[in-house]
Amino acid sequence: MYWCASCGGCEEATVDLAERVLELTNLVDIVFWPVALDFKQEDVEKLPDGSITACLINGGIRVTEHRHMAELLRRKSKIMIAYGACSAWGGVPSLANLYETQELISRVYREVPSLNNPDNVTPQHRVEVDGNQLELPELLPSLLPIDRVIDVDYYVPGCPPTADVTWNAITSLLSGKLPPKGSVIGAADNALCDQCPLNDTKPDKLLIKDLKRPHQVIPDPTKCLLTQGLLCLGPGTRGGCEALCVRARMPCTGCFGPLDRVTDYGAKTASFIASIIDLRNEEALEDAIDKLPDPVGTFYRYTLGASSLGGRVRNDKS
Amino acid sequence: MSEEPKVGVFVCHCGMNIAGTINVKEVVEYARTLPHVVDANEYVFMCSAPGQDLIKDEVKNLGINRVVVAACSPAMHEPTFRAAMADAGLNRYLLEMVNIREQSAWVHSHEKRRATEKTKDLLRMAVAKAVLLEPLEELRIGMQPASLVVGGGVAGLRASLDLAQRGFKVHLVEKLPTTGGRAVGLGTMARSEMSGSELLRPILDQVESHTNIVTYLNSELVNLDGSVGYFKAKVVTYPRFVNAKCTLCEECVRVCPVEVANEYDYGLSKRKAIYLPFKDARPRIMAIDPHSCTMCGECVKVCEPGAIDLAEESRENELVVGGVILASGFEPYEPPFGDFGFGYSEKIVTLFQLERLLDANGPTKGQLVVSGTVPKNIAFIMCVGSLGTTENAHQYCSRTCCASSLKNMIRIRALYPDATIYAIYKDIRTYGRHDETLYEQATEQRVKFINFENTPNVNAGANGITVHVRDATLQASLAIPVDLVVLAVGMSPSSTLRSLRSVVKVGCSPEGFLREAHPKLRPVEAPADGIFFAGSVSGPKNVIESSMAGSATAAKASALFAKGEFHVEPITAQVTEELCSGCAVCIAMCPYGAIARKSVGDKKRAEVDRALCKACGACVAACPSGAMQQAGFKDTQLLAQIVAISERRNVR
Amino acid sequence: MSEPFEPKIVMFACNWCTYAALDLAGTSRMKYPPNFLVIKTMCSGRVDPQFIFQAFRNGADGVLVAGCHLGDCHYIEGNVKTLRRITLVRRMLDAFGIEPERLRLEWISASEADKFVKVASEMVAQIKALGPLSPKLEANA
Repeated sequence: MYWCASCGGCEEATVDLAERVLELTNLVDIVFWPVALDFKQEDVEKLPDGSITACLINGGIRVTEHRHMAELLRRKSKIMIAYGACSAWGGVPSLANLYETQELISRVYREVPSLNNPDNVTPQHRVEVDGNQLELPELLPSLLPIDRVIDVDYYVPGCPPTADVTWNAITSLLSGKLPPKGSVIGAADNALCDQCPLNDTKPDKLLIKDLKRPHQVIPDPTKCLLTQGLLCLGPGTRGGCEALCVRARMPCTGCFGPLDRVTDYGAKTASFIASIIDLRNEEALEDAIDKLPDPVGTFYRYTLGASSLGGRVRNDKS
Repeated sequence: MSEEPKVGVFVCHCGMNIAGTINVKEVVEYARTLPHVVDANEYVFMCSAPGQDLIKDEVKNLGINRVVVAACSPAMHEPTFRAAMADAGLNRYLLEMVNIREQSAWVHSHEKRRATEKTKDLLRMAVAKAVLLEPLEELRIGMQPASLVVGGGVAGLRASLDLAQRGFKVHLVEKLPTTGGRAVGLGTMARSEMSGSELLRPILDQVESHTNIVTYLNSELVNLDGSVGYFKAKVVTYPRFVNAKCTLCEECVRVCPVEVANEYDYGLSKRKAIYLPFKDARPRIMAIDPHSCTMCGECVKVCEPGAIDLAEESRENELVVGGVILASGFEPYEPPFGDFGFGYSEKIVTLFQLERLLDANGPTKGQLVVSGTVPKNIAFIMCVGSLGTTENAHQYCSRTCCASSLKNMIRIRALYPDATIYAIYKDIRTYGRHDETLYEQATEQRVKFINFENTPNVNAGANGITVHVRDATLQASLAIPVDLVVLAVGMSPSSTLRSLRSVVKVGCSPEGFLREAHPKLRPVEAPADGIFFAGSVSGPKNVIESSMAGSATAAKASALFAKGEFHVEPITAQVTEELCSGCAVCIAMCPYGAIARKSVGDKKRAEVDRALCKACGACVAACPSGAMQQAGFKDTQLLAQIVAISERRNVR
Repeated sequence: MSEPFEPKIVMFACNWCTYAALDLAGTSRMKYPPNFLVIKTMCSGRVDPQFIFQAFRNGADGVLVAGCHLGDCHYIEGNVKTLRRITLVRRMLDAFGIEPERLRLEWISASEADKFVKVASEMVAQIKALGPLSPKLEANA
């Protein structure tokens, strides 16, 4: 298991397996897991190609080192699994693709309010320390899902995947009865509404008059959150998490990503939300949408890296 | 499709229409380089017999199973090429056309090079889509040549009779114990000496006696399943308790202990629980009102013919029809208690009550007697309940009240030459061929017209009734003492629409009436096929207009029944149940009510009724999971077309 | 080798109104720039925002979505849904660095061939001025 540009949540998710971890370690040999075990890159390089049964990579490809490790592990593994939203679709960190890397560096090292950088230091690829040349991995122009740099066999969705989803994925791997290559495993084939206890409370016509943000509503736990004006992305999000967030009265933010037939999660969820806004003229629509301060961040929160555009486009004025 | 797609491309010259601008040879050469294209050809006129034969030959000889024709607009010849493919044994829907005449050669004749390049782009896009096309089958639905008509007023009667005379079976459902609707409650009709019930007598007789019409009185439509061509309607008939043995001797009326307000006289008179609705009511038998009847049995004792059966039970009727005509009418606007003094005095009446007073068969035998006296000063206040004159009023104009009021003013003047009549109006709308003369007559007969901008007040106190109005023409405030106020109330949507709409999937306009498919081009049809609207159920109408609408729906329904079958285009929406989560987003998207949310175990799933789906695709674009797709316009097919806009293949 | 920039504009046309208007422009022999690649759907309500992003991704410099006027949709109110979706999508373009003028929504009825010609010339000129749109395809070389 390897982590690229990730928050560590996916590693924790594995720990969430609790006793099932012990069962797992009985069934398999873990040959590489930097967060938990002390293997080094050389240990992986020494393994024969294709000898790792399965490799789970979480986190997206942000720096050259990630790409290098992903390519290495691909060579050494039979089955490559993109584990978690970041490796599958870029995840939250891929929202950085809305900015040029220079803007990111400038923001972090020069502009943030909590800055303490009197010498105006910014990260460099190469630096000399005591006569030695040191190299840091370079920042790539954007954060990519891992399937943009290597061939991926399966995807486990979630931010992070729940313990049950993780266990389902692992057991289906170990059973040998695998779905077609490229499938999402461990989760449902249809959207979250199927697992949501509030699905039955929907009226005949699902239409919303107003868009509200979570801090503006104390949700009634007995009614579908969409009907209360909250932007629950459940209808467009793959099920599998048993509607954890909704059961805690928070609208689904889409961390289990798109269903199989959807090519751009952000566009599709924006489509369904817009479709059910019960207004018929441009002015009223503009006013309603004003209540949504960051549509791209809202609809592409976990999936910008895998979206059709991938991030900000560059205009050539030639 | 398991077979490999083999595309045949055919580029038409259309004489010089296309070839004069576009380099057809170059386009054909280019087509041959595209993936899955087995062969590409050109011909002078693809729509001609030899052109079509070219397609058939390629299918036969090269096993072509997808056809791309680059020619004129599909609006011209899509059916031609579909037929050619069917002749060749290929499914008609494996065709993709490229419009290179109307949308390329004819509009870019000054830029031949770019026109040719654009043609190549469009061709590449069409081939990309054609590769993903799938065979589709048209759905054919058998047509039940019978109609349900809900509502036995003028519109419903006219529709029923027209259909019956054309030879179709009609099931006419009426909630009251008699047909005739509101028109039979009208006093003298305009420009006629006949009352509403006299005017309608012939049509009431014809409907009652026509062998093709079955009338269900005291009945209500409680369920409607199915769709155009095959509806299953459940109609419940509540007991009348009196059968055809009744001779109208009225002994039962004499002994009945229960007296209630008579709704046919709009509360101006009383009736017993057993009653004949009005003098000319059809059928010619009594009815018992189950809400007020105490079941005491006194009437049974005196009924010689034995026509009363208090044990009669409700009956359920299951009817199978091909079309449904909704003609359930309107309700008179009921002013809230106190508006214009309504309710404070018997001398403040509505226009509908006035009609009863002036009807020779009404509670006062046609004499304008109110509270025992004949009023000398009569004020008509117009636009009550319409044009936003009060907070409770509708914003729309109710269309019929001006002509109705003027007609009544003229009638009153004829009966009482000495009466002073005030017409206090916001606007006088006597439109069309017939009604302006009413206005002229009223003015000639010295009805006093007072125009208001601010809604008048009516003060009904112990000293009598005073109407306070600011005359907008004179710019002066007037206080007019009167002894009768007639409120010209408008037409409200019927309160039964709520329950009707829970049975029949039809939409409502913002005003509350049923909403037609298009107010100008399709005024008597619901958006859903097979359902029609006749009369004031879809907006205020007078008797003439309701009658017209009745005939119109009969014509529409006849056209449907005469076909014998209903063809459904196969490019309909379809949901893959395993991918559907029952999220219900699609249901609200469909204006035809074609999508239902069904229960599968304890889960919910969407279900498309192909007979109702019109293939717009709105639900497909809204479906958050891609479970809903449109045959022939699937996401994969359209995305393939889009990806092909450039020669680079950037598939994601 | 350097040719002047000619924008590629993907146009979604509804079958009943806009496509018919395009045909009418043809039969009337009107002239308009050949920059538009038309994709026909039965109703503008079929146009999925995914298509719009896919079009920009694949080389479209502009996208025109056209359908029947509000109130005149052949399918009653498919275009109302189109209006809702395009209004929201247009708000999302700025974050992606796409000028909102590159996405245009027009109501063009079957008789309004002249309106289309006017819109077409305007849009081509506008997008020429904005320049080509070229999405980053591969972040890494």
